[in-house]
Amino acid sequence: MTLLLPDRRTTDAADVVVSVDDVSKRFRLYKDRSTSLKERVTRLRRSVYDEYWALKNVSLEVSKGTTYGLIGHNGSGKSTLLRLMAGIHRPTSGTVDVRGRVSALLELGAGFHPELTGRENVYLNGSILGLGRKAINAKIDEIVEFAGLGEFIDSPVKIYSSGMFVRLGFSVAVHVEPDILIIDEVIAVGDEDFQRRCFDHLYRLRSQGATIIMVTHSLNLVQTMCDNAAWLDHGELRAVGAAPDVVHQYLDEVNVVEAERMGVATTDAVEVEARSAHDLISIDEVEFLGPGGTPTRVAVTREPLTVRMHWTTREPIEVPLFSFAVESEAGVYVANPGMRTGDEPGKLPVGSGYVDYRIDELALGPGQYTFSVAAHDHSGTTVLDKRERFLTLRVQPGPRVVFGLVDMLGRWELPVDRGAGDG
Amino acid sequence: MAYVTQVWGYRGLIGNLAQRELKSRYKRSVLGWLWSLINPASTLIIYTIVFGTIMRIPPPVAGNGELKSFALFLFSALIVWNFFNGVVVGSMGALIGAGPLLKKVYFPPECPAIANVLTVLIQTGIEAGILVAVMIVVGNVSWTFLLFPYILVLLMLFSLGIGMVLSLLNVYLRDINYLVGIAMNLLFYGTPIVYPYTLVEENAPRWAEIVVTINPLTQFVGASRDVFYLLQAPSPARIIGLTAVSFVTFAAGWAIFVAKSKDVSEEL
Repeated sequence: MTLLLPDRRTTDAADVVVSVDDVSKRFRLYKDRSTSLKERVTRLRRSVYDEYWALKNVSLEVSKGTTYGLIGHNGSGKSTLLRLMAGIHRPTSGTVDVRGRVSALLELGAGFHPELTGRENVYLNGSILGLGRKAINAKIDEIVEFAGLGEFIDSPVKIYSSGMFVRLGFSVAVHVEPDILIIDEVIAVGDEDFQRRCFDHLYRLRSQGATIIMVTHSLNLVQTMCDNAAWLDHGELRAVGAAPDVVHQYLDEVNVVEAERMGVATTDAVEVEARSAHDLISIDEVEFLGPGGTPTRVAVTREPLTVRMHWTTREPIEVPLFSFAVESEAGVYVANPGMRTGDEPGKLPVGSGYVDYRIDELALGPGQYTFSVAAHDHSGTTVLDKRERFLTLRVQPGPRVVFGLVDMLGRWELPVDRGAGDG
Repeated sequence: MAYVTQVWGYRGLIGNLAQRELKSRYKRSVLGWLWSLINPASTLIIYTIVFGTIMRIPPPVAGNGELKSFALFLFSALIVWNFFNGVVVGSMGALIGAGPLLKKVYFPPECPAIANVLTVLIQTGIEAGILVAVMIVVGNVSWTFLLFPYILVLLMLFSLGIGMVLSLLNVYLRDINYLVGIAMNLLFYGTPIVYPYTLVEENAPRWAEIVVTINPLTQFVGASRDVFYLLQAPSPARIIGLTAVSFVTFAAGWAIFVAKSKDVSEEL
């Protein structure tokens, strides 16, 4: 993902381009939709349906030239709001006022016809997005170039790979040069290189004064790219304002909910039994303790965390060397803190207890991590007990944005000016 | 009027939708666009054999005073029917077919139906060209051919008005599709296409004559036969009547469509 340094603009009431005023949207969920005449006649009544409020009294404003993020869980009404802004649906009550040409990217390549060539589809899709033939003629080379399809542009799109398909779709959509670009979670397409170009292009659109409204689950994206954001929860507006503030409020709640959802149970389905035959000591349980010392499965970057390993001994033994390994979701071996061979090994009696690994400031970036734990004998050569991929920890981003697996925990100093001249 | 300018703003899309339909229609068939000639030709041949040769329905004498051809008499009426049928049935498919798109992008929901009219217009243009060519060969030619475009414009408005309403109803009630199938069959025989109107006047009971006479398609078919076969200008009453009926049908159809299509993207 490209890092775009935020260039935040302040809201100026004078040039609001999208104004959502007290909007509610009701959908009807038909239980048994009578689309056939017989049912209508025999029932002699209207279809049975449930009412479902996708949006409830939402008000917000988007200023010209700003980038606006909509965040929230699935089903929170984000996409519905985008559809209302794009004019696809009408609000049940309230008003949506949009000034300027809108290009809505709700699905890339919507309207591509499989039998037509890429080039023919560019014209078709361009016109769907409101671009005339002349305008497309002027841009066709750029669009083809951007999509990076080479000779495939003159082949029917049905032979395209899904990557090629979305690349062409995105390429057309962003070249429409809309006043307002509405994007629904579609940027997560293509390879790294293509994504980079997408962001570069979005950034360029933005610097040219286009207004961008996006739904995304990537909070990093919201924090880096958006000026303002709104948080929707079950159709209701929970927070609205500067993007970092909204993201922070959202995260505060998500962390709480996530912790509740994941519970404090220790063992996971991912557990792989690879235990040693030595029956001197066993690691029975591993816990994560949050800042307050309460068990949790969700940690926050840069906050304290304690890893607690519970053990049981069958015989009195010398204090073993406990360790654990941390793996990222992608399988990257991130860390493996273990006890060192000490000078004076103490003894553990028969019984049970625990050992803590205390982290003052968690350096792990946001993501999911898998922990394997082990206990070696005092010399470090024999495995006494080992539990591979024993449990997982979810790390949520804190108030500061972290890219990559690790927060280096450092801080930047002010630049030092060495003065003019050639010295 | 605002709706007219809005739809006009999407003319590029309408053109592209029509192109898409035309380009992809015969894409994987060996004979390709020839099918658009073979299909109407086969209908023409079958009806000519059944109604002209076997049932011996007599065609009137054509405008040049000597030609008496059931096939050409039929063709000059079938061209009207094919257009009407293509627009009405095609509109329903066009709106349903555009459903996935309408859920993703905003555009006036009239566009698919209008695009469909364009594709049918091209088909009718080809058929009219062939009809004119044959008429020239058999020596049944007159300036009245030039009146056909006006008749076609009226027919287009009339068909589109009906097509838009039916396509919308069909979204809410998929039975419409099947009902229309039956209705079109009925209408085909309720319109003097495979038989001359004079036959109804002479043989049919009074009620049937009334039904056939007030059927606007009877007047469209009559007008088309006037200009292509009988080589006479349609009577002023017929022209005025058709003009009025067409504009009213179109305006009413579009008004209903606009009023009822606002939430169509949720229903598709």
